This record gives sequence, structure tokens and C-alpha cells, in this order.
Amino acid sequence: MPPELSVVLAVVTAPFAVAGVTPLLIRSLGEKTGYAGAAVAAFCFALLGTQYGSEGTVELAWIPSLEVALRFYVDGWALLFALLASGIGALVFLYSPAYMHGESGLARYYAALLAFMGSIIGIALAADLIAIFLFWELTSLCSFVLIGFHTEDASSQYAARMAMLVTVGGGLFVLVGFLLLAFVAGDVVGPGTSAFDLAAMLDRPGEMQTALREAGLFVPVLGLLAVGAATKSAQVPLHFWLPNAMAAPTPVSAFLHSATMVKVGVYFVGRIRPLFASLEWVVLFATLGLATMTICALLAVAATDIKELLAYSTASHLGLMIAGFGFTSILGAETGVFHLFNHALFKASLFLIAGIIAHETGTRRLDELGGLRHDLPVTAFFTAIVALSMGGIPPFSGFYSKELLFEATVEASHHHDLGPLDWLYPAVAVFGSIFTVLYSLRFLALFFGRQPDSLDRAHRPPVILLVSPAVLAALTAVVSIDPELAVRAIVQAGVDATAVDPGTHEMHVGLPTSYSPAVGMSAVAIGSGVLAYPFYDSIHRSIRSIPRTIPPIGANWWYDAIIESLADDGAWLASRVHNGLLRTYATWTLTATCVLALAGFAATGTAVPTALAGIDVPIPVALVLSLAIVAGLAVVTADSHVAGILTLSILGFMIAIFYILASAPDLALTQLVVETLVLVIFLLVVEEIPEYYQVSLGRVARDAVLSVLVGATAFITVLLTTDARPAGESAIARYYTEHAVPEGGGQNIVNVILVDFRSFDTLGELVVIAVAAISILTLIVMRSRGDESSVATEDGSANEPRERHETRGESE
Amino acid sequence: MSAFVLALVVGALFALGTFLLLRRDLIRVVWGLAIVSQAANVYLLAMGGIELGGFETVPVLAGHGEGVPETTDPVVQALVLTAIVIGFGMTAFALVLSYRVYEEHDTLDASELGDRE
Repeated sequence: MPPELSVVLAVVTAPFAVAGVTPLLIRSLGEKTGYAGAAVAAFCFALLGTQYGSEGTVELAWIPSLEVALRFYVDGWALLFALLASGIGALVFLYSPAYMHGESGLARYYAALLAFMGSIIGIALAADLIAIFLFWELTSLCSFVLIGFHTEDASSQYAARMAMLVTVGGGLFVLVGFLLLAFVAGDVVGPGTSAFDLAAMLDRPGEMQTALREAGLFVPVLGLLAVGAATKSAQVPLHFWLPNAMAAPTPVSAFLHSATMVKVGVYFVGRIRPLFASLEWVVLFATLGLATMTICALLAVAATDIKELLAYSTASHLGLMIAGFGFTSILGAETGVFHLFNHALFKASLFLIAGIIAHETGTRRLDELGGLRHDLPVTAFFTAIVALSMGGIPPFSGFYSKELLFEATVEASHHHDLGPLDWLYPAVAVFGSIFTVLYSLRFLALFFGRQPDSLDRAHRPPVILLVSPAVLAALTAVVSIDPELAVRAIVQAGVDATAVDPGTHEMHVGLPTSYSPAVGMSAVAIGSGVLAYPFYDSIHRSIRSIPRTIPPIGANWWYDAIIESLADDGAWLASRVHNGLLRTYATWTLTATCVLALAGFAATGTAVPTALAGIDVPIPVALVLSLAIVAGLAVVTADSHVAGILTLSILGFMIAIFYILASAPDLALTQLVVETLVLVIFLLVVEEIPEYYQVSLGRVARDAVLSVLVGATAFITVLLTTDARPAGESAIARYYTEHAVPEGGGQNIVNVILVDFRSFDTLGELVVIAVAAISILTLIVMRSRGDESSVATEDGSANEPRERHETRGESE
Repeated sequence: MSAFVLALVVGALFALGTFLLLRRDLIRVVWGLAIVSQAANVYLLAMGGIELGGFETVPVLAGHGEGVPETTDPVVQALVLTAIVIGFGMTAFALVLSYRVYEEHDTLDASELGDRE
């Protein structure tokens, strides 16, 4: 069943449209705007639901000349991601009004959140590389606005800038990767199909890979796209922006920084997986993913703030998904898709619960919280479901997808010859999982144990705050009890779309009934985690001490060092280049222009045509032009202003005569009028300023060198360009010449062009002259007026006697 | 007509204009601007190909007859005409601006003005 273009377009544009009118909604609905947002999200969810089971491409022409189109590709994987985004979006909008109660700047908040939802649905459905890039960067922009929501807070600004630099910078890598991909794809997809059509490329994965390898671009494109995905999905060592992004309001953290935006990288890796599946792919993404999973799990154990713990845990789980997609077997696809689905449900819920805790107790510090089950019993119940799911404890949902990862690591060596990585991958996966169990238990422990004395009694949260996490926890519980239900509903379709050899395998998950290596690995991970839990505090302290003793081990340290040196170098460079002196600017601009132009000529190997070197000029022209140059020399050497103005006029009039000789009578007329006017204006102004202005010549030698450089560049450019001009009359000149009389009714072609064919250009020119005239008038007239008034107010009393005296004198 | 000579003239005018642009006296900077724009106009015209003046080469048609002769490029001339007028506006504005600067600060020395910031 092919998808409906109108439905797909409505889903993508509706959030943007409502984002545009958010300020009006805020005016009429106030804080209840969140419910309107929830309605929009639910609307998108329902529309996407109508496309359930459809597959195919629909497109709307956008820039036909560049073959760029708003092309959408709907399949199981796209629907899974878009449904998650709109579904969780609806719950987050429902949660927001109560959480954001009393905050200012809600219009910005809801507009950015809606625009974000539109962009994320756009990424999920887009099949055109340019459209994907645009939506990709739009999500980064919305994330920037939302992280920096507390504009007066310095740490919030710092975090927003960091997220912007890292994710938008990563987006640029993606753009270069896309352009290279399109460069290769042009030949593969054949004529008639756009080179930016990702869906067409996915139809021919084998040919694409061969073509990429033949062009020598396979590894570069893979690397560029991997950098983009790693920045977006917070993979080591580019993970550091995600914990900082927790400066955003908690609903934003739940929506952008756990459930959707950070999964864009994972989603995209899953999307392009069939194109790139190879040994390089496995080594790159499995290593990247497992390293992130382990390092971020360690950092989560070192966290002191509940949102920080969840942020590192999110990065760790994103690593798990990337690692899953990194393995080319069908198990890898199952891991990535199923864990993306499970994680979106339990992590969004956990963030919303963290929001409730912070909202009701006033603190987010782990060591200040405990025993919350007495005050928040309902929340505690939901937390148990989702936290155990996060830890991968059977029979909760996270267990099934983590079990798939273990199986994929064990089976990896069946598909590729990995050498020592063969046993390293399973070992690292188990090692990382131990810490996952540890921090999951730690989060759950917030509700158990003794309540610290410093903690006041927590208030019961309003029911509306509990609805969203409860829905997500209930869904997690459903998946936990019957994982096959989720598989049949949506996950299988996602797996088919991301599998290297689709349609060959039916996915089955469930509690293990017999021993397998994966079961053993799960048992080791969970057992070690539970046994190590009593020593949580000492593990927590020892991990925290590492970055304190060796600061450069933290990626954040590198970020700060680089940004600081960039800012310092920028300030230094600006003070050198932008020093307020006109001649500095002129020097830099002219030198740079000349060097670039000459380098361009040299790089393209353009030779100066020697055939032109003859001096074949009629005597009148030679005379006029040499007079012009002599006049120019006289201007330069003139020692008084009047002498300079007169010689400048001689130069102008010589050029006018040159125009006469060069068959351009209209130019000559204009030039004569203009030169006369310029002379008059100069003479008028020179009346008012000193005749001999004593200014030392300054660095004559350096200026002379620069002038010669500019002159030489101009000389070479004129020679080269006149030489490259095609001989004979140009088509456009021919057109104007032939049509001047029949269409313009005039014999003077230049006149007809100016006032008839291109009259709007002439109108623009007149506007420029009018603006110049008004500015000149303002500069002269306003000055004298301002003087009068200032004299009257400032020196009014001092001038009074003299004025009276003068008046008397007149009357006498 | 020899492109070499035209290139020499344009190059020389550019060099002289640049030298003036780098002076400290603002009035001389305005002169430099004027010379550079004159040079640019000559360059533009040269790009269209220069024919020595004569009855057939001028882009003015003899009458409303059928035959249309080949003249010098009228498009380039229309461009340069616009450029001359715009250049005039720019020179006049720059000059009056310098004059106003002199009135305000009592100096025309660009370096002194730069130091005041």
C-alpha cells in the first residue's frame, strides 16, 4: 500500500504551522497551550496511524532545477520513529502545563517544542538527502533554543552553546557526506532519478557500495556520516554535550534528550545500514557503540544529580543501539530497533519521574534523596517498572533487547573475521552492563531506604503530572509481559527496513527456556551488578576521582580548552585586523583580493597571452589615455586640495573624450555632466576645509608596493578577461539591437535598454541617487540645525547680552 | 584596439587610485575612490570590445529600416552608464561625509579619527 502524499505532508507541516501561531494561542489559552500542543501531537499520531502498513515514496517538487524535492519515504522504520516522536510528544505536551506552571517565555517554549516535533517527524519520513539535512539542523536549532530556555542563567547558555556547536558542527559533516554520496549515486540510480534520492539508493545497496568503493569514497563517506551520527547521538568522545543539555526544563530532557532527538543519529545509522554493511562498518560502529555504552555507564555511576545520571545512562543506551546496528547480522537490526523502542518508553518515563521528584522535593541531588516511597507511592510503583527495564532485569522490556545485543556480539565472528575483537566485544558488552544494573538500582533506591533528615516531606504530585509517566510505564509493562505483541505491532516492520537481507528472518523474543551464551552473559552482568551494589559508594567515589587527577581525560576539558583558545585568538585577530584605521582595512582587503585572484590564475594555469603585446593604438586614443595617466599622477602628487581637484577633473574629462573615441557617445555625455558636477561640488566643499592639509605622507614605500600589486593584478585580469571574451557580437547584444526599434521605438540602443528593456534597473539606480541626495542633505542641513538648538540651550545665557547688544546696534 | 594598452591604462589607474586610498587625508581617499571607479568603467567598456568611433560603430541606428548593422556592444555601454551615475552618487556622498567629519572632529586625518574610537 503506497502512502498518501497529503497525509504525510499534513503530518510534517501541522506542527510547524501551529508553532507559527503559538504566540496567539498563548494570548488566548495562556498556560493551557500545552494541551493544544498535545492535541497537535495526537493529531499527527492519528494521521501516521492511518499510514500503518504502507510503504513507498511520495514526493513534492521543491527545487526541480537542482533535483531537490520534498521526498518522503514511508516504511516500518520511518513509521516507528515518527509514531514514537508524536506519541511521546503528546505525553510531554500533556505534562508541560503543570510542570512549567508560572514560568515566563512559554510562547518560545511551546513554539520550539512544536517546531522540534515537526522536524523530527520530517527526519523520520524524509527520503531526500537535502531535506534530511535541513530537518537534521532544524532539530539542533530547536534543541539550542530549548536548552537555553533559562536565558538569564549562565550555565544554561553555556550548555546551549555547547550543544549547538557540537550537533550543528556534526550536521556539517553529514552535509559533506551527503554531497559525496550524491556525487556517487548520480551514476548508480541512473538518469530520471534524483541523485539525492535516498530511497532509490536503498533499492540498490550492492551497486551503491561497489560504486563508492570504486570512487575510493567508501571510508570517507562512512566516516563523515559516522561523525554526524556520533555528535547527534552523543557517542564517545562527543557525548559531553548531553549531560550539560540537562539545563533544559525536564519535559525537554525527556522529549529531546532521551526519546527523540538524540536518537536521530541511531535512526539514521539504522537507515543507511543496508548501504554500508561491511567489515569496516562492524569495526567502526560496534566499537564506537560498545565504548560509549561502557564509558557512559561508568560516568552514570559517577553522577551526583538524578538528571545527570539519566543523561549519561541515555548516552550509554544510545551506544547499545549503535553497537546493535553495528553488527550486520539480523540480530543487530533487532537489537537496534527493539532497544530504540523500549528505551524511548522507559527513559522518557524516567525523566518525567525525575521531573516530579525535583518538582516535589526541590532537589535533584542523589545524596539528598531517599525513602520517597512513603510520600510518592504511586510514582514509586511506576519507577520500579521502568528502572528495572532500564537495568535489563528479566522479565522487564530492556532485558529482551539487551539479550539480543549479547547474542549479536557472540555471533559477530560468524559473519566477519574480527581477530581479537571476537571475544572483546562480548566481554565489553557484559562489563558495561554491570554498571547499567548498578545505576538502575541506584535510581530505584531513591524510593527505598531511609529518608534523609534534611529532606522535607515531599508533596503529592498533581494527577496530571503522573498521567504521562504512568502511560509510558504501562506501555513498558505491556512490552515486558508480552514482547511478541510489540514485535508484531511495529518492531518487525522496523527490523525488515533496517536489515541487510530483509524478509529472511522472523523475529522472536521471550524469556529464555534453555542455556545459551547470551543467557550466561546476562546472568553474569546482573549477578555482578547486584553483588557490587553494596559497594556503590566506593565505586562512585573512585570513578569520580579519575577526571580530577587527570583533567585531559574528560572530553569536556578539551571542549573548554578549544573554545577558550578560539575566543582568545579571535579577540587577538580582531584587534589586529579591526583597529579602527581605514588604511588597515583597505590594506587587508586589497592584499587579500589580489593574492586570491593571482593564486586563482596560477592554480588554473592561465597563461598571459603574449600575442596581445603589440601596441596598436590610434594616435588620438594614445594621446588621451596618456594625458589621463599624467593627470592621475598629478592628483597623487598634488600638494593642495585645489590642485588635486582640478587635475582629477582633467582625468575625468580625458576619460570622457576616450568614450567619444571608443564609439560610446552616451557615456561621454554622461561623463561630461557628472565630471562637471563633481568639480563644482568639490570646489564648494574645499571652500570649507583647509587648503593645504598638512598630513605627513606616512609609509610611502609600503603603500607604493601595495599599489603596484593592485595595479599589476588589474593589468593581468584585464588582459586575461579581454582575451577570453568570445569574438563577435553577443546574443544578448544582438537581441537588443534588433528589437530596439520594433519593441522600444527608439534608435539609440543604449537609451532604449536603459528606459525600456531594463527600466526597473534604471529605477533602482534613480533610487540610489535619491538616497544619496537625501543623505547629503541630511548631513549638511541637520548639522546646522543641531548647532542652533545646542547653542540656544547650552550657551543661551552666555550669548544673551551680546545678542541684545547686536539688536541694539541694528536698530541704531 | 590593443587590449594591452588598455590593460596598462587600467592597471596604472588602479595603482594610482589605491595609493590615494591609503593616504591619511580623507579628501585624498575620496579622490582615490573616484579614480578607481573610473578605471573600473574603462575596464568594463574594454570587456565589450572597443571600436574606434565612426558612423557605423556607434550603437545608434540610422533609421527604422529593416537592416540592423553590427555595432559596439550596447549592453556594456548601458552598464557603464549606470556605473558612472552611481559612481557620481558615491563620490558626492563620500565627499560630504568627509566634510561633515571635518566639521565634527576638526580633522581630516583618518589615523587620528581611528584613534578616537
